[in-house]
Amino acid sequence: MKSPTAPVLLISLVVLCAITVANASDHEFKGVVHAIEANYGVHHMHIPLLGFAMFFARPEGVSGMKLAVFENFHFSGESEHVTHLIEDSLGEGWFPFVKVRSKADSETTLIYTNPSGGKMRMMIVSLEATEATVVEFNLSERSIQGWLKEPGEMADDHRHHHLD
Amino acid sequence: MRKTLLLMLLLAAPITARAQEFKIPPNIDRLSAKAKETVEVTMEGPMLRWASKFLSAEDPEEAKCAKLVQNLRGIYVRSFEFDKESAYSNEDVEQLRALVHSPEWTRVVGVRSVHDGENVDVYFKLENDKMAGIIVIAAEPKELTFVNIVGPIDVDQLADLGGEFGIPRLDTSSAKKGDRR
Repeated sequence: MKSPTAPVLLISLVVLCAITVANASDHEFKGVVHAIEANYGVHHMHIPLLGFAMFFARPEGVSGMKLAVFENFHFSGESEHVTHLIEDSLGEGWFPFVKVRSKADSETTLIYTNPSGGKMRMMIVSLEATEATVVEFNLSERSIQGWLKEPGEMADDHRHHHLD
Repeated sequence: MRKTLLLMLLLAAPITARAQEFKIPPNIDRLSAKAKETVEVTMEGPMLRWASKFLSAEDPEEAKCAKLVQNLRGIYVRSFEFDKESAYSNEDVEQLRALVHSPEWTRVVGVRSVHDGENVDVYFKLENDKMAGIIVIAAEPKELTFVNIVGPIDVDQLADLGGEFGIPRLDTSSAKKGDRR
């Protein structure tokens, strides 16, 4: 009889492997996170079992997700400085795609894409008055079509989903 | 020597013209300060060519759009939503229109709706009798949208771009309404 812990160990091993592979190619993500930390004097939160949670709770059409959350963040809504900051951190191959600024919420969402082959990597930086998040992920073909059709609305959906 | 210089100048001319090609009006960010929400969509050459692969070949409309997009150099959309009417001035819109007050630009569509205050202007850029760009300025009481499509475009395929990449659909039926002036 198989040990009941075997499937759990197997899943954990797969998740750990996935995280290790992701870490090997996440220098752009780390660059953006470090740039925000250095410029705004904040540190991203340590979320226990984040990689494990994201493996199971990732949105449809998304893979290789990386997330950094900053609390006690002070954002005045001035988006030009942070735009330069993010763009300087991202290397070649990243293109600005969508930028949404909401004055009422003092919120800015910056979206960059890195297309290569049949994949698209997307980096979303959301800045609110007291919180910021950086998310990077790979999009499936179906999700790419949705983003290309209605980029502004998809960015809005992402923003409202994040606010909820 | 003079011939060589002339040839060099002729060869450099299209490059210079392309370098001067504007993408986004330089002072359009002023409108962000007044807007409740600003949406910017930017898609340039490599991204567009790559994106065209993801438009479905099975959908006839998307297939036409993919063909059109492959040759474009950029699509730039700036959309501003305001809290109240008259948040932006006629002068703001005139400054956008002033950008296309040059011989290579021709205003081909102008819709003025007294009923709902929607004003749409479409300008075509012609180079050697071929369309090389389109600018759309859509002004509504609480919304202002600027679209710049840079690159060669077939007029017949133009409508196919509406509804893709954040470009609003151009409702040609509104031209039939009797509330224009």
